[in-house]
Amino acid sequence: MIPRKWKMYVKMYWVKLAIIAAVLLVVVLAVVGLNSLESYYRNITLATMPVNLLMVALNAVIFVFMYMSFMKGGFSKLSNKLRIHGDMVNVKWSDVIGMENIKEEAMEVVQLIKDRVRVKKIGGKILRGILMFGPPGCGKTYLAKAIATEAGMPFVSMSGSEFVEIFVGVGAARVRGLFKKARELAYGHGGCIIFIDELDAIARKRVFSAFGGTEETNSTQNQLLAEMDGLQELKDKRGEPSPEQNIIVIGATNAPEDTIDRALRRPGRFDRIVYIEKPGLEDREKLFAYYLNKVESDKTLDIGRLARQAVGRSPADIENIIKEAALVATKNGRDKVTLEDISEAMERIDIGLKRRITMTPHDREVTACHEAGHAVVLYILHPTDDVFKISIIPRKDTYGVVWHQPKEELYHETKDKILADIMASLAGYAAEKMRFNMTSSGCSVDFQQAMWKAHFMVWKVGMSDAGLLGDYTVIPESQLSEEVKEKLNQETQKIIQRCLKSVEELLLKEKPILERLIKELLAKEELEYDEVEAIFNEFGKTHIKSAW
Amino acid sequence: MSPRHKSQVRMLILPVSCVLCLVSLIGCTATYPQDRIKESIIKICKEEYKSDVLVETSGRTMVIYLPLSDLMDYSFALSKTASDKINDVIFSAARVALSTDAKIDFYCVIAHDVKMPELQIIIIKSVEDVRRLFANDISRGEYMKRMLIDLRWSPQAKKEQVVKEIFSKMNLDPKWQDQVMADFFRSEPTSLGDIGYWGNKFYIKDITLAEFLAEQIANRVKLEFREDKDLKENFLLKAVKGVYISRNGKHLFRFEVYAERSASGTTSAIEDSDKIFGMVLSIAAHVTHGYHFNDYDGVEVFDQKEGRSIEVNSQELEAFRTKKLRLNEIGI
Repeated sequence: MIPRKWKMYVKMYWVKLAIIAAVLLVVVLAVVGLNSLESYYRNITLATMPVNLLMVALNAVIFVFMYMSFMKGGFSKLSNKLRIHGDMVNVKWSDVIGMENIKEEAMEVVQLIKDRVRVKKIGGKILRGILMFGPPGCGKTYLAKAIATEAGMPFVSMSGSEFVEIFVGVGAARVRGLFKKARELAYGHGGCIIFIDELDAIARKRVFSAFGGTEETNSTQNQLLAEMDGLQELKDKRGEPSPEQNIIVIGATNAPEDTIDRALRRPGRFDRIVYIEKPGLEDREKLFAYYLNKVESDKTLDIGRLARQAVGRSPADIENIIKEAALVATKNGRDKVTLEDISEAMERIDIGLKRRITMTPHDREVTACHEAGHAVVLYILHPTDDVFKISIIPRKDTYGVVWHQPKEELYHETKDKILADIMASLAGYAAEKMRFNMTSSGCSVDFQQAMWKAHFMVWKVGMSDAGLLGDYTVIPESQLSEEVKEKLNQETQKIIQRCLKSVEELLLKEKPILERLIKELLAKEELEYDEVEAIFNEFGKTHIKSAW
Repeated sequence: MSPRHKSQVRMLILPVSCVLCLVSLIGCTATYPQDRIKESIIKICKEEYKSDVLVETSGRTMVIYLPLSDLMDYSFALSKTASDKINDVIFSAARVALSTDAKIDFYCVIAHDVKMPELQIIIIKSVEDVRRLFANDISRGEYMKRMLIDLRWSPQAKKEQVVKEIFSKMNLDPKWQDQVMADFFRSEPTSLGDIGYWGNKFYIKDITLAEFLAEQIANRVKLEFREDKDLKENFLLKAVKGVYISRNGKHLFRFEVYAERSASGTTSAIEDSDKIFGMVLSIAAHVTHGYHFNDYDGVEVFDQKEGRSIEVNSQELEAFRTKKLRLNEIGI
C-alpha cells in the first residue's frame, strides 16, 4: 500500500513530477540518440548545442515577455504571490520567549488539536480557528509557528494583503488555492495549520451595497467563511472524518477586535480568541537575556535594569534595540555590547539620531530653560515617570528633549498622573516665561498635549472639579447645548490654568535647581540619569519613584 | 537570494552538471578508432551498401578499391548503378574519415570494371573539404571543383602490356615475365597520376596537399576553358598539366598549358598568351588562398604553344588576387 504521504506528494506535485519525468526522458533519449551518432555528427551536434540553447532561451524570453505584456497584465502575475508553500516549521515552544500566560492558552489549543479523537469521542467540538489580537511585533507569527511545531503539523502561511488584488475574484481564488494546498498537506500529514497574518485586510466588517454590488473584500471573506465551514463536511470513503478536514486556521491582526466581521468571530470559524499583550517586566528580562545571548555582550549587564528601562517595548523592539546596540558598539570600536551601547541604541530608536545644527547662544539658552522646566516638574511632581535624560541636542523635529517614562506598565491613568502630565507639559512654557519674561514657539506641542489631556479629563472621564460626569464625546454635537459645551471648555481651561499656576509656584520655589540644570545643560548639552539624580540630590530632592 | 531559491538553484545545477558530464564523455570517443579503420569501411560498404571493397592506407591517405561489373553503359558514360555504388563508397569513406581518431587528410576511391580492369576511375578528395562542406563553409559547387576525378587507363596496366608484348614478340620464356615486371616495372607511385589498382595490388602514395592543389588547379583550368565563353571560342585546349616542384631551393607550382588558337581570332599571340597566364594565375591564387596554403614560393605558367612562360612569387600572386597588381605589372 502506498503511504499516504507519497500519495499527497503525487497529488500536490504531479505537474512538477510529470515535467521532471518528461525532462529526464528527453535527456535519456537525447543521450541515447547522441550515442548512436557517429562521433563527427555527435561533435557537430554538441558544438551547436550551446548556440541552439541560447536561441531557444532567447525565443522563450521574447515569448514570455510578449505573452505577459499583452495577454496577462504584466510581470506582476509572475510574482511569488500566487505561490503557497507548505513548510514544516521548526519553532520550538521554548523558543517563544515570554508570553507565559499566552503560551498556556496556546498550549491548551495544541492539546485540543492533538487530541482530536478524544475530543470527538466525548462529543466535543473540534477547534476550527484561533484569532490572535495584539500590537505589532509581539510574536503572533512566532507563536503560530510554535503551535504548528508542537502539534506536529505543516504550516501554510499567507498575509492578508496577498489576497487583495484589483482583479475581481482573485482574492477568493487565492483563498480556495490556500485551502486546497492545506487539504493536500493535511491528507499527507494528518493535519495542517493555515496562518493568515494581517487578517484585517480581508476580515473587515463587510459592506453591503443597496444596489446589489459588493466589494471585492466581501467575496474574499465570503470564500474564507465558506472554506472554514466546508472543513466540517469532509468525510472519507468509509464515512469517517477525512484527515483533510483536520485544518486549523490561525489569524493574526493588529486591528481592534470590533473591526473584524462578526461572522468570522462566531464559533465554528475562529472559535478561540487570543489576546497577545506587550511583554511584562519578567518577560522583558527573558527577552533581553535571549537576544543578548546572541551577541557578544558585557556579562555584568544588569538585565533587570534594561527590562525596567524598556517599559512598553514589544519583543521585536527589544530585538531591534540589541541589534542597534551591536551596531553602536561596532561604531564605538568595542568588541562587546555594553550598557552604554544599549542606552544609545534606545535613544536612537526612541528620540532619534542627533542633528548637528548650529544654534545661537540665546536659542540654546531658551531650549535649556525649556527642557530644565520639564525636568524639574517631572522629577518632583510626576507620580510614575523617571527622567532618564535631558538633552538640548536637536533630534528629529525637536531642539531639545526630556526623556522620561514609567518604570512599570500602567494599565490605568489616575487623575494625579494626568494632572502631572499636564503640568510637565506646561513646565517648559512656565520656565521660559519666568526666566526670560517671554515665551517661544517651542511650547506648541506641549500645549497640544496639555490641552488634549485636560479635554480628555473633562469631556470623557469626568475628572473635572465641576461635577460634570460622563463621556460627552458620545453625545452627537448637535444634541449638546452651547451652555454645556461652554461649561466643559471652561473646566478644561480651568485645569490648565490651575496646573500652570502650580508649575509656576514650583519653579519659583525650585529656581536654584532650575538654574543649575540650565547651567549644566549649556555646559554639557546632555545630562544622563545619574547626573540628573546627582543634581537633585544635591538640593535635597530624592526620587521616591526610582527603583534603581 | 533566499534559502529556498538557493536550494532551487542547487537542484538545477546538479542535473545540468550531470547531463553536461555525460554529454562530454559521449563526445570524447571516436566511432572508428585508428586500428579498425579498414575493417570499418569494409563493414559499412558490405552491410549498408552491399559492396565489396578493399582498403589500404598510406600515411595520411586512405585508398578504397571498388570493383564493379558494369562501369560504363552503351554511350560510354558512367552507368547509373556504378555511379550510385561509387557515391556510396565515397560517402562511407567520408563518414569514417570524419569520425576517426586517425589522421586522414585525403581519401581516394579507385573503381574499375572487372571486365576491363585497365580503365579506372580515380576520385581523390580532401577530408577537410568534406568537413567544410558539412559545416556550410564552402558551397557544393566549390566542393565539386575541389574534388579530383580522373578516368584513365591504369599506368601499371600500360607498362605490363608493353612487357607482355615484348615477351610475346621476342618469344621469351613467359615464366620470367612476372619476375621482370616485379623487378623493373612495379614501383611505388611518385605522382597522383600513378595511383591505381592492378593485379590485386594497390599502387598508392601518401598524397600531399601541394600536389593535390597542383592537380586541382590544372583541373580548374580545364574547366575554365570549357565554361568561359571567350576562351571556348578562341582556344582549343589540348592539355594542362600541374605539378608542384622544387627548383633551386624554391617550391613552385608549375603549370603547362597547351591550347591551340582559333583561326578566326583577332588578337595577337602575345595577347592570347597573356590571357591564359592571367586566367591560370587567377585560379592558382584563388585556390591557394582558399586552402590557406603558403608553403610555396611562386607559380610558373608555361604556354607550350607560344613557348612563353611567366613566373610570379607568392606575394605578387596575392597582390594580383587582391587586385593590387595587374598582370602587366607582375613580370609580363
